[in-house]
Amino acid sequence: MTQPSDARVASSSADATVTYVFAVCRSTRATSALDVTGLAGLPGGEAVRLLPSGLLTAVVQTVPATDFTDEVWQRRLSDREEVERYARAHHAVVSAVAAHGPVVPLPLATLYHDDDRARRRLADEADRFHTALKRVAHHAEWGVKVYRPLAPEPSPAACTPAPEAAGGRAPGAGLAYLNRKRGAQARREKLREQALDVAESVDAELRGLAAASRRLRTHGAELSGDQRVHVLNATYLVADERAHEVGRLVAALGERTGAQIELSGPWVPYSFVGEV
Amino acid sequence: MTDLDFRQGDQPIPGPQTNNLADILERVLDKGIVIAGDIKIDLLDIELLTIRLRLFVASVDTAKKAGIDWWETDPALSSKASRNALEDENRELRERLRALEPSEDAPSGGRSAPRRTGQEEHTGREKESEQR
Repeated sequence: MTQPSDARVASSSADATVTYVFAVCRSTRATSALDVTGLAGLPGGEAVRLLPSGLLTAVVQTVPATDFTDEVWQRRLSDREEVERYARAHHAVVSAVAAHGPVVPLPLATLYHDDDRARRRLADEADRFHTALKRVAHHAEWGVKVYRPLAPEPSPAACTPAPEAAGGRAPGAGLAYLNRKRGAQARREKLREQALDVAESVDAELRGLAAASRRLRTHGAELSGDQRVHVLNATYLVADERAHEVGRLVAALGERTGAQIELSGPWVPYSFVGEV
Repeated sequence: MTDLDFRQGDQPIPGPQTNNLADILERVLDKGIVIAGDIKIDLLDIELLTIRLRLFVASVDTAKKAGIDWWETDPALSSKASRNALEDENRELRERLRALEPSEDAPSGGRSAPRRTGQEEHTGREKESEQR
């Protein structure tokens, strides 16, 4: 727990509140006319509101302090339904504001003791916010996932023939079994290499369309009965006037490579505001 | 002082047309501009996040069936598990070989240790495209 510099100890009484910051945008006429009161915000909080601070305006919500401690969040993160509620609520507020102009999202759970503290931190980071806002203005993020096509079951005939055993005798069943195992391994290896080649070429084509790109971690083999192997998880920052090209390109790449390619977006450019 | 932000092209960017929780999580937990808050919340444990993401893409039923510690047996996430996978496979191969080898001479008890095949099944995720 970082102590605020004004040495005010955060009270943990039941009615203490803290300021939750969703996102930051420029203070423009359009921004000040924004009506965010209709947004649900996080469970248990007051109305979502704007917090202007010079050239920047934050989108914030007053929330109960006891409900937003590190311990509570750690518990919340291991409860699928809870974390889903909070993640979607955060995301809904960010997306709604982004419909009206450039916005820089903050990650889940950035909290200040009060509005003044939040304003002060925004002012400290003003340069970073302005750089990020400039970067994402008139751009959106598009996510692309590539899955390896499901391998057809190999016929036994397709198995690698066993090498001649020493002495020229036909190999025993044990050796044949081992060779089958090896053949299967080699086939898997080959499929994997092909899939990675497809991933690389899909990524290269999309980078040609994008102002910036990021590789994200591939999601593990899904337990949902979906046996597909995820070979590319990437996300691209694309100018609004080129947005219509993304879907077309993804469809064409799918045709050409035979891989399953999933597109998501447009997203608020979460992935492209961090390195400023 | 203020520059008007009218989007060109008359089409404001709508919210993302995705309901995939894993996609949302990997953005809201892990991305965005990070500025220091007054209250330290630690959401950035990458290893845990990966596990969580895997958990989230699973249907709740399968996750329940697999038990809460299912990743313990996933070679991609646990070195212990990959050792176990190798041992399991070795055991399986030994048993099959024993069943298949003609038993001309009675086993003398002192079997030499079988050679490791080194053939590990990759059931886990492909760790190819890490962030650059």
